[in-house]
Amino acid sequence: MKKRIYKIILLMILILPLNVLAGIPLDTVKTNVNSVIEVMRDPKLKGEAGKKVKEQRIVAAADKLFDFVELSKRTLGLNWNKFTPEQRREFVELYKTILKDAYVEKITAYTDEQVNFTKEVPLSETTIEVQSVIMTKSGPVPIFYRVIKKDNAWKVYDVVIEGVSLISNYRTQFREILGNNPPETLLETLRKKVDKK
Amino acid sequence: MNCRGLIQYFEIIYFPIEKMACLIFLFHLIIGFSTVYAAGPARSPEAGVAEEQQIVEKSADDALPNKPAAREEPSDEYGNVTEEQVVSGEGPHVADPLEPWNRAIYHFNDKVYFWALKPVATGYKYVLPEGIRGLFSNFYKNIRAPIRILNNFLQGRPGYAGIELAKLLINSTIGVGGLRDCATECFNIKGRDADFGQTLGKYGIGHGFYFVWPFLGPSSARDSVGWGGDWALKPTTYLGGSEWINPVNIGIYAHEAVNTTSFHIGDYETLKGAAIDPYVAMRDAYIQYRAKALKQ
Repeated sequence: MKKRIYKIILLMILILPLNVLAGIPLDTVKTNVNSVIEVMRDPKLKGEAGKKVKEQRIVAAADKLFDFVELSKRTLGLNWNKFTPEQRREFVELYKTILKDAYVEKITAYTDEQVNFTKEVPLSETTIEVQSVIMTKSGPVPIFYRVIKKDNAWKVYDVVIEGVSLISNYRTQFREILGNNPPETLLETLRKKVDKK
Repeated sequence: MNCRGLIQYFEIIYFPIEKMACLIFLFHLIIGFSTVYAAGPARSPEAGVAEEQQIVEKSADDALPNKPAAREEPSDEYGNVTEEQVVSGEGPHVADPLEPWNRAIYHFNDKVYFWALKPVATGYKYVLPEGIRGLFSNFYKNIRAPIRILNNFLQGRPGYAGIELAKLLINSTIGVGGLRDCATECFNIKGRDADFGQTLGKYGIGHGFYFVWPFLGPSSARDSVGWGGDWALKPTTYLGGSEWINPVNIGIYAHEAVNTTSFHIGDYETLKGAAIDPYVAMRDAYIQYRAKALKQ
């Protein structure tokens, strides 16, 4: 009888610290996502004057939330290796600008809705999926953040909205261009896209 | 410390303080290592694999102008990709032999959205308060219950078929003809979405090829068949006469589309604005979305 109790105690001790560890990525993502939303909602940052400050704050908040190099590598996959170091750097910067506009637009489209962070699902030893759901008027929209642990910080490398992975979606698009063209062609396409904004 | 292995602790009847300390020490050692390992150099063993793949790729396309540059790879985070990074971004694929047709129809639908659907939905949204549009949403969702009931059943989920049946009964009565989703709001009953295309997928039938329908949008060979099945199970299909497609059921469908769009104005614009090639982005999003439905 007593032996069993020890087994149970041992089991409980083994499980306990894992639960404590598990709360960290979720909280990190939650805090950083909320800080982006806060900047977007800030009534003081309206109009032309506030626009620039707003822009800068969003960039700062997004840098905290995302690991753009990791994101870029996972998007390009093996094609990343075809880029020269300079091209890689330029790609990350261009991609970041495009994503920032797209993602910020997407999550702020729901500014009035409630965001609930629900749970964490481990994907590998260093990666975890933080699941959240936005309660919109026409139903819940699940948004999952895939995060990686680097230098003791959890950073987002993929966002999955209603089952659609951001990095996969862009990988398919980039692959069409890189299939028949050198990396420079893709960079040129991205430059044009960024300039248009 | 008198430490003779973990197994011993199962046999001890008393738990002396020193042994407890030993256990905690051991335990922290284990946790400590696993944490360090998890945070640590997990990359290096995989880098070799990725490099091998890179060499294979290189020999495949020798014509690349920057071949020597990629060799001198940076040692920081800008270095070559690992296998995990390559695998993680790989999504489901679909054949697209009819791409010229699909692209043409995509552009047609794009115009239909901006010139007709969006202005109509915007006006509709302006005229009707959100609460009323929500009632319509609930109504149309409730009308589709037979599709969910039958397909949950066909997919070997009779439990969910029963839940969807219960939801249909509750919403059609207490929910006043499906205008309110009382099953969810009052009783917190959660159903499971199911359609015929999904059922075919569960039976192992692939998409076949990607297909874009005028007005209706992205689909595939399999999902188009699925839509036919879903249409047959929708009670509103049988309004307005015995014809499969008639002005009444098309009108109802059009209203459903406008009502749904009124909640999603801006979604398509975001997707299009963020995309490098909106057609490919849409196709990939559709295929990923359907893949997720299959996994559920």
